[in-house]
Amino acid sequence: MIERTYKSMNEQIRPSPGLISHTLYLMEEEGKTGNRTRSFYRGPLAITAIAVICFLLAGPVFAVNVPSVYDLMYLVSPDIAQYFAPIRESCEDNGIRMEVVSTYIHDNTAEIYVAMQDLTGDRIDGTTDLFDSYSINRAFDSAATCERVGYDEETKTVTFLIQITEWGSRDIEGSKMTFSVREFLSHKTKLEDVPVDIALAELSGTSKTQEVQITGGGGKNVKDWGDSMTALVPQIPICTPLKGIDVTAAGYVDGKLHLQLATRDKLTYDSHGYFYLLDSRGNKIGYVYSVSFAENIESDERIDYQEFVFDIPQDEIGNYSLFGSFYTSGLNTKGNWRVTFPLVPDDQQS
Amino acid sequence: MSVESQCTAAVESVVNKYADMVYRLAFAQVRSKSDADDIFQEVFLRYVRSKPVFENEEHRKAWLIRVTVNCSNNHWSSAWNRRTVPLEDCYTFELPEESGLDEALRKLAPKYRSVIHLFYYEGYSVAEISAVLGIRESTVRTQLTRARTKLLEMLKEDY
Repeated sequence: MIERTYKSMNEQIRPSPGLISHTLYLMEEEGKTGNRTRSFYRGPLAITAIAVICFLLAGPVFAVNVPSVYDLMYLVSPDIAQYFAPIRESCEDNGIRMEVVSTYIHDNTAEIYVAMQDLTGDRIDGTTDLFDSYSINRAFDSAATCERVGYDEETKTVTFLIQITEWGSRDIEGSKMTFSVREFLSHKTKLEDVPVDIALAELSGTSKTQEVQITGGGGKNVKDWGDSMTALVPQIPICTPLKGIDVTAAGYVDGKLHLQLATRDKLTYDSHGYFYLLDSRGNKIGYVYSVSFAENIESDERIDYQEFVFDIPQDEIGNYSLFGSFYTSGLNTKGNWRVTFPLVPDDQQS
Repeated sequence: MSVESQCTAAVESVVNKYADMVYRLAFAQVRSKSDADDIFQEVFLRYVRSKPVFENEEHRKAWLIRVTVNCSNNHWSSAWNRRTVPLEDCYTFELPEESGLDEALRKLAPKYRSVIHLFYYEGYSVAEISAVLGIRESTVRTQLTRARTKLLEMLKEDY
């Protein structure tokens, strides 16, 4: 009886459409920061992790002479060093060395520090990003994340923290895992919160439009549209905030302001951007939704478009100023980096 | 991660697919609309921030369940939240027995509510609840038994 009533009761409980669309908006905003470096956590153990990472990144010996790092760690603070097991497994491809520096296993979580160093050039810098090109293979059920946590200018070495949490009751100690990377981005450029030189008050109310196949999007009611929508027809670029990023159209469609951003090499360099408005009081007005579509999808001439839609009446748009933030990468380096290593506590290391 | 990457149909489809599940589990524990709203947002923001890698859809679901329970537990760690549930934050259910059960669930200790929800609504077995919440199977069984007993006692008092 309880079960039946409980089920019927819960069928009436649902998140409101407004909550869902607002959450999607927040997720999109979160993504715009492009910042994957999270602050550390977990009280005293977190402090330990920070201390060790700072220490690891402090000198030129990092990733060049790893045993020396651990010798020094024990000299400075044996209490800190004891949490980390040195791994020292590395591989090299395309002049880039990837090394699993250390692991720290506690409860059902493994924390693994991986360093990548350019042995021949300047391809790795403080903006190095693995984006979606890494994979983590392990033999137990788990969820895993990978974040950039530091960069050492002197040795051109970037450090990533992989965190793996086991989902079942299986002991992760003694398991093996493989971390592999097939490409990374670096030398990123960003222009944030810059004015965009478009005369909003002079925009046409009868813009040329086209039906496009949507490849993605976010914001209010996007999911209700299906596969297509009305978008502006791309024109000669109005302005180019960053190399490879053009504003290709702006105008009013069905009483809403549409602003179109075109990116070339988006998939290679992760080029992207977004707009927002400032009212006369300096309040930030976000777009209500955005949609993505593309041209020449299967060719080298592919162009990705993102159209941002603002719900501001045309007779009021003169009271607003247009701003934007734009991001791109200077280098995309490909290779085949793969390291397999055991998840073993420090006291079991040989 | 880029705007587009975060806003891909894939991310949106995760929200659309699991929105009801996350919200119901959150509400099951906090019994307040506004708190469930907060937890709902926090869960999906954590999803974007941590960008977890899953081996299959079951793992994604398990991750969302565990994070929802953790966020709800954080909510209960506030003494203020333990004592206050605004009336306008409650659902008005269609049937009297549903309202009665809702009232009983409000009186039930929060630690029992997630187990009850996963068992009765999500249809998880004791072993699956144990795995997803990271607690022993014996603890799950004990909590289920005690929760059912307490709920039946409270419901008898009502009728």
